[in-house]
Amino acid sequence: MTKSFEAQPEAPLTVNRTATKSYALQESALIKWTFITISLLFLSLFLILPLVSIFVTALEKGWETYIASITHPDALSAIKLTLTVVLIVVPLNAIFGIAAAWVITKFSFKGKNLLITLIDLPFAISPVIAGLIFILLFGAQGLFGEWLYQNDIQIVFAIPGIVIATLFVTFPFVARELIPLMQMQGITEEEASISLGASGFKTFFLVTLPNIKWGLLYGLILCNARTIGEFGAVSVVSGHIRGMTNTMPLHIEILYNEYQFTAAFAVASLMSLLAIITIVIKNFIEWKAEKS
Amino acid sequence: MSIQVQNVSKMFGSFQALNNVSIDIESGELIALLGPSGSGKTTLLRILAGLEGLDEGAILFDGHNITNVSPKERKIGFVFQHYALFRHMTVFDNVAYGLKVRPRKERPSKEEIAKKVNDLLALVKLENLADRYPSQLSGGQRQRVALARALAVEPKVLLLDEPFGALDAKVRKELRRWLRKLHNEFHVTSIFVTHDQEEALDVANRIIVMNNGKIEQVGTPEEVYEQPNSPFVYDFLGNVNLFKGRLHNGKLTHGQFEINVPTHLDSHDDAIGYVRPHDIHIEKENSNNDTVAATIVHIHLLGPIVQIELKREDIDEYLEAEVTKEHYRELGIKKGDVVYIRPKQLKVFVPEDFSI
Repeated sequence: MTKSFEAQPEAPLTVNRTATKSYALQESALIKWTFITISLLFLSLFLILPLVSIFVTALEKGWETYIASITHPDALSAIKLTLTVVLIVVPLNAIFGIAAAWVITKFSFKGKNLLITLIDLPFAISPVIAGLIFILLFGAQGLFGEWLYQNDIQIVFAIPGIVIATLFVTFPFVARELIPLMQMQGITEEEASISLGASGFKTFFLVTLPNIKWGLLYGLILCNARTIGEFGAVSVVSGHIRGMTNTMPLHIEILYNEYQFTAAFAVASLMSLLAIITIVIKNFIEWKAEKS
Repeated sequence: MSIQVQNVSKMFGSFQALNNVSIDIESGELIALLGPSGSGKTTLLRILAGLEGLDEGAILFDGHNITNVSPKERKIGFVFQHYALFRHMTVFDNVAYGLKVRPRKERPSKEEIAKKVNDLLALVKLENLADRYPSQLSGGQRQRVALARALAVEPKVLLLDEPFGALDAKVRKELRRWLRKLHNEFHVTSIFVTHDQEEALDVANRIIVMNNGKIEQVGTPEEVYEQPNSPFVYDFLGNVNLFKGRLHNGKLTHGQFEINVPTHLDSHDDAIGYVRPHDIHIEKENSNNDTVAATIVHIHLLGPIVQIELKREDIDEYLEAEVTKEHYRELGIKKGDVVYIRPKQLKVFVPEDFSI
């Protein structure tokens, strides 16, 4: 049996931790420590320092101001809206992502390459343009604007618009994660399942899903992080209505523009916490996926 | 269960994988589908399993047309080339899968499933490894799990795709013997795909030789080996020496050879005689003038059989001969000796035979 068939599913973006130390690639201590110093300096300057400064600025005026900033009705509304969008977008993208990856890896059909290219489209275009596309489609002067107005459906400057724009921007995360994984695993296990008398439904839940679960979770984590943080596309379609269509990043921008630095940084610190939690979960999943 | 394949054709794009193939397989047979890669043997097996559709023709199981029946309804057991074990399930769960996924009404109870799985694991001698995952097993063990999993659903047909292809020689031999034994016990109609002629000759009780999407010959191992009906089968099953020459009045002329071929009385300029290595007669003294002198280039001792490579004196061509060790000792020949050879048995094909 060849090695490739024994390869375990591994999240494609993870670094190979078991990389062996090659004797031929060993460098002198001087070079080694120079590089380590450079990377540590870079990391502290561009990643750790800003992160620390967020929390420092947020707590500058004490805990009371901090608590007041994040419990302000507008802030609470922004947090609630962001979480609502997450709860809608992440499950939908899980379904779309699995469906797209399934179609691409388990069937062969004409236009498959086009579909793969289309999945990458949201990565390629600027989120601002993505937002504008939806204004052009669903806005008052847009393609479906008239019809939507007559039927009293509001998409732009409302939650549906934010959800659609976020769905668009975060679509590739799950699909991109699953396609290489499912391609590597092939279709023989599914064929085996069908030949043993299982229905398509059972095959999916008993064979396909368990095989892709770590890759799927990894994609969902990335999708979740981007959904919380998405600014450009949401900024265009939301209309910035305070207490109604402001997500957390939009709320931070407004506070910042109004020179309420402490409040802005307080909400920013909340988002940073979410990001840190995300990274921890992501690493846990990578570790689990490697182990299984 | 008996199987009829009726005029089945299958195209992959512009590639003709199967071209009007028909076979009758009787219940309880152990059949080898033998052919080079690209000959359509795996495609035919997958069509029988329902994993692949067909463009034309029909498949009958026990006289019922099941061409459009889905694979999950066909009651087949399929053993995949690379086993396709469920990687996230233990050996036990792999074998139990086919029973567990049955609709509630037909599903055996938990205890019944456990008993059946344990019986099967005992049959394949893996009862101690029930809790292992496929990645923790050797190739031969995985193959046995795959067989047990396929047998768990009590299939009426067992289909095996290159079942021993990925195993080392010793394990392969053992599993071959085991498969034959299993077939003798269960008598389930079994069809396996192989490109290894030795495997086909060793295991099957009937061989279907395929080439270019067509069936070349169907017969018992003895028939296809002893009486190949085409140059392809001759070439594919076992080693063969070619005697290319002129056929005239029932005689094939090749170098100094003049061989009587009573079956062919017509004339051809480019007929080919096929001679198995063991059908080459070797003698030390020229007893008879129908022989040709040849020099021994190489002697290869392989257990009870001795392979001798010869270079003919009359024309610049090499031959391969096989003699038993006993005969080799009697002859008392060594490398560099000149000996006299003639074909004991020869089958002639004329160009028309190749164009079929």
